[in-house]
Amino acid sequence: MEDDVGAQHTPAEVDATFRTLRRVAVGYFVVFLLAVAAFPVLSLTLDWWSQARLAGGMSPGFLVAAFGLYLFFAVLGIAAARLSSAVEHRMLDGTRDDGPAIGPDPTGEHP
Amino acid sequence: MTGPSALTLAGVLILLTVVAVVMRPRGTSTVDFYLAGQRVGVATNAWAICGDYFSAASFLGVAAAVYATGLDGAWYAVGFAAGFVPVLLFVAAPLRRFGEFSIPDFLGRRLGSEKVRLVAVGVVQLVILSYLVPQAVGSGITWELLVGSGLFGLSPYATGILVSTAVVTGLVAFGGMRGTTWTQAVQFLLLLCALIWLAATVVGEGFHYGDAVADLSAAPLENPADDGALATEQNALHPGDPAVFGQPGARYGGLGQFALIVTLAMGTAGLPHVMNRYFTSPTGGAARTTTVWVLCLAGIFYSLAVMLGTAAREIVPTAVADHPWLAELTVDGVLRVPEHALPVLGRIYGGDTGMGVIAAGALIAVMSTIAGLLLAAAASWGHDVYERHINPRATQRQAVLAGRITTLVTACAAAGLGLTLRPETFATATPSIVATMVTWAFAVAGSALTPVFLLAIWWPRSTAAGAVAGMVTGMVVAVAMFTAGLFAAGGLLREALVTPTLVAAPLAAAVAVVVSLRTSPPPDVEKSWLIMHGTAADRHAERLARLVVAENRRRRADRRQRRARG
Repeated sequence: MEDDVGAQHTPAEVDATFRTLRRVAVGYFVVFLLAVAAFPVLSLTLDWWSQARLAGGMSPGFLVAAFGLYLFFAVLGIAAARLSSAVEHRMLDGTRDDGPAIGPDPTGEHP
Repeated sequence: MTGPSALTLAGVLILLTVVAVVMRPRGTSTVDFYLAGQRVGVATNAWAICGDYFSAASFLGVAAAVYATGLDGAWYAVGFAAGFVPVLLFVAAPLRRFGEFSIPDFLGRRLGSEKVRLVAVGVVQLVILSYLVPQAVGSGITWELLVGSGLFGLSPYATGILVSTAVVTGLVAFGGMRGTTWTQAVQFLLLLCALIWLAATVVGEGFHYGDAVADLSAAPLENPADDGALATEQNALHPGDPAVFGQPGARYGGLGQFALIVTLAMGTAGLPHVMNRYFTSPTGGAARTTTVWVLCLAGIFYSLAVMLGTAAREIVPTAVADHPWLAELTVDGVLRVPEHALPVLGRIYGGDTGMGVIAAGALIAVMSTIAGLLLAAAASWGHDVYERHINPRATQRQAVLAGRITTLVTACAAAGLGLTLRPETFATATPSIVATMVTWAFAVAGSALTPVFLLAIWWPRSTAAGAVAGMVTGMVVAVAMFTAGLFAAGGLLREALVTPTLVAAPLAAAVAVVVSLRTSPPPDVEKSWLIMHGTAADRHAERLARLVVAENRRRRADRRQRRARG
């Protein structure tokens, strides 16, 4: 555990941020679960989903499994990361004098 | 082995050895050996996580599963990629901010209990072993295809397992997390290049993805059966109908699809070798950004793997006439072992060099994942057991030595288990034995570790007793369901049993919550919360890094000035 690095924030500040981040994470997770669960539901209930032919000869279901879901995960991830970082910045870092890091992140060993 | 194949393999091994030697740990501390000094940048860590995560199951297994079962095989790819969504939402940033060595270390410190730490070590070792065995099987399959002959009187399959395990064990024991990070990053880039090369070649030779799916879906899906002849796959969604390549139902019913994805998605957050990589990030924010990179790279990787599985199904039957060597690998144009799909495609279009490139890619995938798993085993045994319980006064040198010995013992156990399994034995039972066996590891991780992990991060009332009860419940239920599933006849019950996370994870979480509510949380939970969910550590690390960068610039400027004067 890092030593006493949290001393610069009050428990109330961190607790408020934690609750907001938890709402954000749960909200995005519900969207993720609904999208994943929709596939088998559509497979069972909608013939068009499995049998129609769209791009080339692929069905909508095949297109989504081959490309669509990966795109969806990436977009969802980018949106969730941006929102979480913005929440932290506004609720924690924004209250400090030195502010957040601007420009390229100087930490780490860049390739 | 032909000249080009040998050259490809030798080139890859030399490159990885050079990287491991150049990037070996700079110090002898455990932070250097296990965590690469906690200074791994976003891009490097994303590549290394991909190298760690994209195992034989991803490289050989996903294409094999698509080859054998069409659209249902793509669920492995979707599930593997989906796994990083929960990691991003719930785990990456707080886990890094808490800053420990391993999952057991995190749980032990967060909940203030050595009992939690030791139970977690047991679960982690089970996950690691379940994950290592299919990697060993994958390396045996690849050596069989690439080299075709064994060493010292051993079979090619056994030689592949022993050689790859020995090489990786040496690299990990020598290079530690720093060397392994860079070799895994290089391995991922090589792997991605191999996949892109094959995809570009196949498309360049006239493969049309949409047309291929339409052609393959025009007839029932057939695969080799126990008697050696082709048999039509039955549709699990519409009993009585034959399965079709481009439609769901060749392997899973509606529940099975969802259960497989939940098992894989929830399992990722509990995989020790992947989670340990987050401790190497400099900040929680960097860990979160790293996960976004991984999600994007996973999308590219898995969409290519699904396409190439489809391409193999379309191309191999027509290639048998022009390539006589395919006859012994196929039954009426269908591969006996689905994992051969990518190497065979490589040989059809690139000859021996092409197969060498793909087989080397498969070996890379296997080796990079084995490396991560061995390091995770070393961290949990060496740090959580040896340093904490066996020799609490151990010097840094002794602790690192314990980690190195652990990698050797774990590698021997996995190789031994891999040698007892033959992929042909399971070919009719699963779409891909490699991908299926990895699913077992995901099931245990997702059922036993992930629920407890999430509660420890997001629920301040979590207690040590609750965590132990949750881990034990998740592990027992997952293993029991999986074992029962192997003997179940089929249908809805079997689907639920072989992908147990849907049942085991909520049960483990419920038990953890109930037991936690009856016991007292650790006294320093407020301090843990400040560290996990505050950003002070991030800002501290960023300030420190800015100072280091500024100091380095000042020194460079000084040197330039001195040279100008001299």
